[in-house]
Amino acid sequence: MSWALTTDQLTKDYRVGFWRPRPYRALDSLTLQVGAGEVFGFLGPNGAGKTTTLKLLMQLVFPTSGRAEILGRPVGDLTVKRRLGYLPENPYFYDYLTAEELLSYFAALLGYPPDERKKRAARLLDEVGIAGERRLPLRRFSKGMLQRVGIAQALLNEPEIVVFDEPMSGLDPLGRRDVRALILRLRDRGCTVLFSSHVLSDAEALCSRVAILAGGRLIASGDLTEMLAFRARGYELVVAGVDEAVIARAAPDARCVRIGPSRYTLELPLDPPPDRLLGALTAAGGHIVSLNPVRGTLEDFFVERVRSAGVGEGRASVWEAQR
Amino acid sequence: MKATAAIAVNVFRESVRDKVLYNLVLFAILLIGASYLIGQLTAGQDVKIIKDLGLTATRVFGLFIAVFIGIGLVSKEVERRSVYSLLAKPIHRYHVVLGKFAGLALTLLVNVAVMGVALYAVLAYMGWNVDADVQRAWGAPALDPAIGKAVALIFVELLLTTAIALFFSTFSTPILSAAFTFGLFIVGHFSADLRNFDQVLDSPGAVFLARGLYWVLPNLAQFDVTEQVVHGQPVPAGYVAIAVAYAALYIAMLLVIATAVFSRRDFK
Amino acid sequence: MASRTLRTAAVIVAAAALVASAAGVEAARERAYPPAEAVDDALYLTSGAALRRLTVAMNPLAADLYWIRAVQYYGGARRRLSGDPAAVQPPLPPAAIADTTAYDQLYPLLDVTTTLDPRFDIAYRFGAIFLAESYPSGPGRPDLAIRLLEKGFRAQPDKWEYMQEIGFVYYWYAHDYQQAAGWFNRAAAVPGAPNWLKPLAATTLAAGGDRASARLMWQAILQTADVDWLRAQAERRLLQLRALDDIDALQKLADRYTAEHGGEHPHDWSTVVRAGLLPRIPGDPSGTAYVLDDNGHVTLSDASPLSPLPEAALGRSAEQR
Repeated sequence: MSWALTTDQLTKDYRVGFWRPRPYRALDSLTLQVGAGEVFGFLGPNGAGKTTTLKLLMQLVFPTSGRAEILGRPVGDLTVKRRLGYLPENPYFYDYLTAEELLSYFAALLGYPPDERKKRAARLLDEVGIAGERRLPLRRFSKGMLQRVGIAQALLNEPEIVVFDEPMSGLDPLGRRDVRALILRLRDRGCTVLFSSHVLSDAEALCSRVAILAGGRLIASGDLTEMLAFRARGYELVVAGVDEAVIARAAPDARCVRIGPSRYTLELPLDPPPDRLLGALTAAGGHIVSLNPVRGTLEDFFVERVRSAGVGEGRASVWEAQR
Repeated sequence: MKATAAIAVNVFRESVRDKVLYNLVLFAILLIGASYLIGQLTAGQDVKIIKDLGLTATRVFGLFIAVFIGIGLVSKEVERRSVYSLLAKPIHRYHVVLGKFAGLALTLLVNVAVMGVALYAVLAYMGWNVDADVQRAWGAPALDPAIGKAVALIFVELLLTTAIALFFSTFSTPILSAAFTFGLFIVGHFSADLRNFDQVLDSPGAVFLARGLYWVLPNLAQFDVTEQVVHGQPVPAGYVAIAVAYAALYIAMLLVIATAVFSRRDFK
Repeated sequence: MASRTLRTAAVIVAAAALVASAAGVEAARERAYPPAEAVDDALYLTSGAALRRLTVAMNPLAADLYWIRAVQYYGGARRRLSGDPAAVQPPLPPAAIADTTAYDQLYPLLDVTTTLDPRFDIAYRFGAIFLAESYPSGPGRPDLAIRLLEKGFRAQPDKWEYMQEIGFVYYWYAHDYQQAAGWFNRAAAVPGAPNWLKPLAATTLAAGGDRASARLMWQAILQTADVDWLRAQAERRLLQLRALDDIDALQKLADRYTAEHGGEHPHDWSTVVRAGLLPRIPGDPSGTAYVLDDNGHVTLSDASPLSPLPEAALGRSAEQR
């Protein structure tokens, strides 16, 4: 598998304070790879270094040490930027331009000829669902609408790789669903998607691989399912049409909760597999409403890993205070 | 250079939408009102006063535009974070600096050109209205082509001021940039005093310092030919050419440093 | 990284080169189109009252700026006219100087300065001296000096120094001993004034213009002057007065020689010394020998730093009046 993006011991120190600057290590020796065509999640609490990493990749800040490559070329290479799309966190654009003008302007910077620019702008605004507001000045846009404009400008050049910093931020549930669908569409087109988020459910829904940062360090990375598999706890069974006595006989160890008339939830262990129990309950006249494996969520995994890395709220708030 | 042009056009668009060009209305009112008033009050001095007023107002209005837009050119982008999506595009950082400069230069060009035309219009009206005998007493004709030279030099001076403001904008906050730029503008007009310090200072160290400052700080007084033009004294083409060359070199220096500073900045 | 330092160095070199070439272009322009000499130190606003309103909230600072301008103006004009940086020395003969307007702006500048800050002490006192100094060390306008000082003490009536200065100007520059004595008296009347003012007034009135009162006057200046230049002047004047006394005494000896040798004048000092009238060749307070010419007249040597001696009116001792 070819790598769309790699970093090698990428480190960023900031000097904090005016009179006696102390170095603050925002990112410590980050080494990771993102495969072509993947959807890669970049997770971590606030202040973990996610945005710093993405800015290093976009050459908005310069690394103290270490390297990074995108599509095989060092970061900052202009030919690569032409094949790349970037959405910054909480994007802000120019108040006095309309959405259409902004996209045309960016299209010009991307090198498209004048007749092409407006067409692209219109198409992308349509794709993110704000075609109706394209002649409105950006100062009248809500946060969610600005987020959509941000996504639109990132996709102007039909990029091979997109980097989204908190793409769901500021969106309502409908908006989030739209963005999720968009990311999946991008994946289907063969685009590599790297996005950072502190909302884990999005990562669970979209990513094939993730990296978890905390306190500027990489504390876990890899396949999502592998990370979660180790935490599979058991099953949750919802059954109807039987009474408690039947359940007590069939699964004496299970914890049983009544959730309605003749409707119960059972928590079953991983072992033994529940097939036999299912058979017994059905035979007794009940019917199975649902059977779901109970896995540790990414959240449990995340919290446990972050705590064990010794990073808590204290560090994060120091970083926030200095911004 | 397409990127530079696109950025420049955007700066111009911002100035227009910020209603900067409305200052032209104020200028027109000022000129017309003054010419009417002065026509009532003085005898024969009219044209000189209108020329003085027109040229000075062109310079002063232009100065405010150059400074107040110039100091925000880069710092506003950085502060509002719009610089992130801008620099993610396939452009070099120097495109941004040059583009911003070109954009404000374009705004100033429009401003100064319109003011020049307005001034000529008022002068034409005076020339048409006033007796030929009175006109003979004027130091210079109403429709003097030399005024065009004066206006051109004002434009060049404004370009230099813009470069100064932009230079500060790449690393300093707007308030400091404004203070420094205005300060340098004033010092630049008094540079002749720096030069003459050796006539009144004793210490050779102080004289050396004053002389050194004179050569390094921008000399803006050379762009002010209002006195000559108004009194009909010639402004040689050679003088204009040299002044322009000086401005070009100094602007180049400021842009080189501004680009270097901007290219290394971390945008946190 | 080395390349980063290299890039920084390249930027600095480029910037320096551009500034240097800009300076070069400017030098070329000044050669081709020499700027008008900044001599027309024109005061656009000579009305102190107007300026006071214009620079409201900054009056004392504006006064300082105008004072600096006044000093620069005076210094510049004086240097230009004397052509000699050590300006306390005797100036060039007046005939060589054509520019009589060199000091025109001095009084207006001082007037504006003192209107902006009516208590600007040194502006009054130094300003008066600048104004009173005779041409080409100054405009030679004791009347303006007095006018300035009068303005000063109208603002601060308890400043006896101003009155004393007015007296001094009348005495030394205008040679009006009546007025001088009058002002010394008024100064003496101010409570807190030093007690040598009254005797000074008396002597001036009685024998103004003669050496005794001049000596008193200069001693007073020497004691109260808080400025090196003025103190040096006072010392020099006192030495000159001593030289004058010396010359009188020596002239008496020379005349005695003539009388004792049948009308024959002594030709040089060694003759007089040999006659036993003098122990050795006499020198003035600066050490330069006095001159004895063929007609038996004693004078100060032209090579002496005390030359030229103050005017003839002061050359008379009390006896000669």
